[in-house]
Amino acid sequence: MFDTQTISLGIEILAATILVTTFLIVSSRSLMFYVRLFAIQSFLLGLVALLVAVGFGETHILIAAILTIVVKATVIPIALSKVIDKIKVRKEIDFTINITTSLLLCALLVILADSVARPILEAQRMSDLAVFKVLPMSIAVMMIGLFIMIARKQAVSQIIGLLTMENGVFLSGLSITYGMPLIVEVGIFFDIFVAVLILGVFVFRINQTFDTINVDTIRRLRH
Amino acid sequence: MIEFASTFIVSAIQILLMLLATPLVCGIIRKTKARLQNRRGATIFQPYLDLSKLMRKEVIIPSTSSWIFRITPYVVLASMLLIALLVPTIFAPVPFHWMGDIITIIYLFAAARFFLALGGLDAGSAFGGLGSSREMSIASIVEPAMMLAVFTTAVTAGSTDLSIIVNRLSTTQASIIHPSHVLAFAGLFIVTIAETGRLPVDNPGTHLELTMIHEAMILEYSGRYLAFLELASQMKLLIFLSLLANMFAPVGMAIDTAPLSLIVGVAAFILKVAILAIVVALVETANAKLRLFRVPELLMVAFVLSLLALILYSIIGS
Repeated sequence: MFDTQTISLGIEILAATILVTTFLIVSSRSLMFYVRLFAIQSFLLGLVALLVAVGFGETHILIAAILTIVVKATVIPIALSKVIDKIKVRKEIDFTINITTSLLLCALLVILADSVARPILEAQRMSDLAVFKVLPMSIAVMMIGLFIMIARKQAVSQIIGLLTMENGVFLSGLSITYGMPLIVEVGIFFDIFVAVLILGVFVFRINQTFDTINVDTIRRLRH
Repeated sequence: MIEFASTFIVSAIQILLMLLATPLVCGIIRKTKARLQNRRGATIFQPYLDLSKLMRKEVIIPSTSSWIFRITPYVVLASMLLIALLVPTIFAPVPFHWMGDIITIIYLFAAARFFLALGGLDAGSAFGGLGSSREMSIASIVEPAMMLAVFTTAVTAGSTDLSIIVNRLSTTQASIIHPSHVLAFAGLFIVTIAETGRLPVDNPGTHLELTMIHEAMILEYSGRYLAFLELASQMKLLIFLSLLANMFAPVGMAIDTAPLSLIVGVAAFILKVAILAIVVALVETANAKLRLFRVPELLMVAFVLSLLALILYSIIGS
């Protein structure tokens, strides 16, 4: 249908857009906006998987792609926005690291991700995988997800950070091996899904007990 | 001789198109915003009427002002017209592309901004000074962001000459469009909104002293001076939209002076700019004005996106 060159270009452009959505998550402070951006990010990830499935004839990825679009781009965002509606916390107000600095640090993380991935790419020079160039970007998405978990104090933001990291893992799996075996993918999906449900309930409970979802306050548990 | 004539005609078409289309773009944005807010809104030709009315009005010059105040509208409009000659709209390479590359364009914008800020200060009113200082502080982040964004396409095409960039990108379609262009486009779009004083950064439709930036600088101007400054700021918007349209999607760009390809070029240009104008109107409707101290955050997003675009270019390679 299309030649591999066009498909890898499409995948690269989608991966770049995923990186953009990740930066937009770092740049915003509204919890609802995080969730929407995460939905867009997952949808784009689903499209990458779809392209890999159709373009390189990896049919088992097709199921993973559909699961991504259904679970990560639809069900999880709806569940999270319900939680946000219930706890009535709309904005992130105090940050460990402010937004401007966070953005610059994340730009540095991308450079770091590149320098981490470069030796791997060079060692695999003979590899014919067309989507290989996506690896630095996916490592960057993982790192920024971790960064979100460190820099943000609200529990919902930390869930979003975790999910972003997971998206990065999935993307890197796609870029290195055209995706992990289906059974692993399905396992991860249910893991993430259940994790989000449990975390959602947790956030709700934390909010009920402490009147806040700022994780700093939860240190009081120790006393 | 024929070559000279066609060059001349193409330049004339270009500058006329830019001059004529400029108020129309503004009109389209206002109309779209009005429809989105459930208003009927003025016709899309209202900006023409506004400008012609301003041209006929009396000019009042503050008694405290110097020659800088009077020269500013001419300098600002002249810089915009010069840039309009350099930016490829329907035809690449534009005939006068040897006059200056992308860096010249950025500095022409800077010259216009410098004089506008001086003009704002010159009348001695408090608002003018406020507007000028805000404009300059925003410009200090916007300018590097814009440079990085346009350099991303410059490295892809291997030249800083805007016409050659657009020409190369349009002749070797798919192979040269690079993933980093997505980020550079996003960065340049935010820069466009900030540079042209659109909504999340500055509100073009109000004179509220707490929020205004561009309007504060031109508050003392009246009559044809105001008309020139209005036209210049509308033209700046059109220039940015055509940069966005033609650097990142040079579809339909005419690469020779055959009449048919010129017509296709004009049609593609109008279509692309109209789509972008509607997108700008959508962004303006969907967003509230940011607090002034939040603006640097938004601009930092633009800067980081443009920086990332360059990093990504080196990651993926050509």
